[in-house]
Amino acid sequence: MIDNPKIVVENFNLHYGKKKALNNISIKIPSNKVTALIGPSGCGKSTFLRSLNRMNDLIDGVKTDGKVLLDNLNIYDKNIDVVELRKKIGMIFQKSNPFPKSIYENVAFGPKINGITDKKKLDEIVETSLLRSALWDEVKDDLNKSGLSLSGGQQQRVCIARALAVDPEILLMDEPASALDPISTTKIEDLIFELKKDYTIVIVTHNMQQASRVSDFTAFFYMGDLIEYSDTKKMFTSPDKKQTEDYIRGRFG
Amino acid sequence: MQEHFSQEIENLKTNLIKMASIVDEQVDKAINALESGNIELCKGVKSKDLEVDAYDNLIQTQCENILALFQPVASDLRLVMSAIMINNNLERCGDIAVNISQRIKKAGNERSLISESQIIDMARTAQVMLKNSIESFIKNDTELASKVIAGDEEVDKLNKQIFNFLVSKMQSNNELIEACTHLVVMSRHIERMADHATNIAENLVFYVEAKIVAHSKKFQNFIKE
Repeated sequence: MIDNPKIVVENFNLHYGKKKALNNISIKIPSNKVTALIGPSGCGKSTFLRSLNRMNDLIDGVKTDGKVLLDNLNIYDKNIDVVELRKKIGMIFQKSNPFPKSIYENVAFGPKINGITDKKKLDEIVETSLLRSALWDEVKDDLNKSGLSLSGGQQQRVCIARALAVDPEILLMDEPASALDPISTTKIEDLIFELKKDYTIVIVTHNMQQASRVSDFTAFFYMGDLIEYSDTKKMFTSPDKKQTEDYIRGRFG
Repeated sequence: MQEHFSQEIENLKTNLIKMASIVDEQVDKAINALESGNIELCKGVKSKDLEVDAYDNLIQTQCENILALFQPVASDLRLVMSAIMINNNLERCGDIAVNISQRIKKAGNERSLISESQIIDMARTAQVMLKNSIESFIKNDTELASKVIAGDEEVDKLNKQIFNFLVSKMQSNNELIEACTHLVVMSRHIERMADHATNIAENLVFYVEAKIVAHSKKFQNFIKE
């Protein structure tokens, strides 16, 4: 089904203390495609997303085993530099979280930390990132305005620009449009469609229609298990598992 | 929300079944009139068609509302898609019952022509196909639907035979041209009714099994899965 995986997860387990949150997950995530993770609250989809850039390391009592191979390299190996890893993987959250700085500084923040000081180079990165996040035309004359002064949808696109500025290979999105109005949501969805040309995207969403609209592949999680993973068209027309069918039809529980 | 949705789906199914039973009655009256030559039996076929048309619009609106408001997926989506198609085919069958009745008024007195031509056999076969297609929908019975689909060939064959028979009659006796022409058209209507029954059965299979069986014979040499 997937010829060119960017991420290969093999027998991955995750415990929060004694509670098992992910159970023996194996999945291949294709490059330059959008993969949606769906499932009811508490099913493990966000935990799984955060396992892909080792965000769960920050939580006390988390134990993992199994492999997450990014371009054939296990990101859970002891000698992996997590900061370097996270440079390759940008993350967008449900609630937009721009820094209390100007739009320009928000986008230039990552490159600056990575040691880029040349103003011309930074200008270029800011412009390219804002162009790619489909925000440039709206803010190009107000780059010194605070990021917090923008609308919710614009703030989310600042965060996407900020993630793109460090030139990642993968974008992880955790409910990126769930707090936005329908027009901003459409903009984010169109953006996701554009961005997959250059990035591998994994998105968690509660919105079934969003998953079916934006993704190429869909994975359904339930109680820590990966129940079904397939081409999105198949998942939303004739899924193999009854549990999947019941969930996407809204007949769960 | 879920209950509300289930209720909408139930209402849709109920309306389709009500519409199907009216169409079934229309077809039955028309064919009984054809068989007996008693034009009186066609009474009400045309007026009932108004009711069928009203259901047609109602069901179309219901399907549109369900799609717009609930965005169904998987088997729910297939049910709505099938309902749209079945509705359309039932409405056409209602029209055909009216068309048959009108032809009976014009050629119903040609009793020997009618009985020799096998048109009644064909009409009864098509009628059974329609009844079975409706029943397969009510019971989600794909086996019965497959039987309906298989029956279409028989009707097509009869249609050709009847056509040839009527043409030869016209050639041998030009006084029969008008009656034979009415019967040729009627035979064509009946053949279409069997096609609609087949479509209904194919849509039932699509709903239950997520498989498109329409045209599958024609395409089996072109598309290999």
